[in-house]
Amino acid sequence: MNSGEKAAMRNYFESLPVYSEFFDEAIDAVISAMDSTIRAEKGRVLNELGAKNRDFWFLKDGYLKEMYRSPYAKEDGLFNMIPPSSIFVNEDTLFANQRPLHYFTAYTSVEILRLSEENYSRLLREYPIINLLYISGTAEIQKSRRARLNMLRMNKTPERIEWVQQQRRELFQIMDRITLAQYIGVSRASLYRAFEKNNKYQY
Amino acid sequence: MLSQKEVERLHYGLRSHIELQNDIEVQALNDLSSKFILRTIRTGESLWDLNSATGDLHFILDGTFTEYLKRGTKSFILRFYRPGKFAFSEDLLLYSKNSDTYSKALSEARVASLPSVHFQNALRQGGVGVKLMEVLINLSMTEYRNSTYHMLQTSGTNRIHAALEQFPDLLHLIPRRELADYLGISRASLFRSLKEIGHE
Repeated sequence: MNSGEKAAMRNYFESLPVYSEFFDEAIDAVISAMDSTIRAEKGRVLNELGAKNRDFWFLKDGYLKEMYRSPYAKEDGLFNMIPPSSIFVNEDTLFANQRPLHYFTAYTSVEILRLSEENYSRLLREYPIINLLYISGTAEIQKSRRARLNMLRMNKTPERIEWVQQQRRELFQIMDRITLAQYIGVSRASLYRAFEKNNKYQY
Repeated sequence: MLSQKEVERLHYGLRSHIELQNDIEVQALNDLSSKFILRTIRTGESLWDLNSATGDLHFILDGTFTEYLKRGTKSFILRFYRPGKFAFSEDLLLYSKNSDTYSKALSEARVASLPSVHFQNALRQGGVGVKLMEVLINLSMTEYRNSTYHMLQTSGTNRIHAALEQFPDLLHLIPRRELADYLGISRASLFRSLKEIGHE
């Protein structure tokens, strides 16, 4: 791992609410255990996260689309957008030992780093406090999901657009209109109508 | 005081979520189970509200609850709690901050509640307490994920189908007006969609 990658990971851990200097030694051990960078071009499905993969992944650069197979629609749907400096996993496999319902595709070119399950288990034995980082990381994902769900319960499309603009500024800048419509759970027509009605556009 | 049957149900509920690795953890879970207190809550009464000072962990033995999120002057249904499930304010229990949500009983309910102080003690001791915390976060994540699925459906009919998959008796739980709000669609659209799928 180069120094930029190390710094990106350290920033992630330091951003967690639970962080204090007390964790530094464990964080250094985690960073040292990360595998070398995997690069994927825009549009590629990350096959590295196969059905049985229980590793932890760190998105260093680029944006990922987290897709899910909807039984109600002809096409797979966008579940979430993952911004740089995020940890992502096969949560069905990791939490429930089930086949994953989600898969990840590169929305832009991406660079990802891996912490293998074996390394994670070893580190957990050596540094039990890593579990607190794990809990804090999952709690952040949970909070983010709740906030997004609350946005999806807003009745009016302009309110949802405004939420993304204010709460997910980085995503608002990067998403094309089709992706934005999927992200806020409206049709493209509804999104365009909302832009036209308010005479405010994305870019 | 919990009856023997209720203690067993509670213990089974906890065991079904928490993977225990040794006798010490089994004993710790037994100890924790014995700290739960039985409460009966009448229809419309709160399990917790916006002014609650401490976050207890509840395990629903009977009855159904809704959790509402207060935004401005309006409240939205965030999720439902059914028998055999944990119910808690994330803000109070996990983050020790004022709750943005409140929960009310949709029907008369029996609940086993673990006072916040015991939950926090278990957490400080590590082991089972930390595992329980992990479980609660994962449960919330999964519930939010499932709710996000149905909110991402752009057609009202698909949204109802997806919501029914998560809560099969949803149509009987809440009035149609609240259901429309919960699904984020107009009442007209709700009735059209229900007719389409043969529910009206």
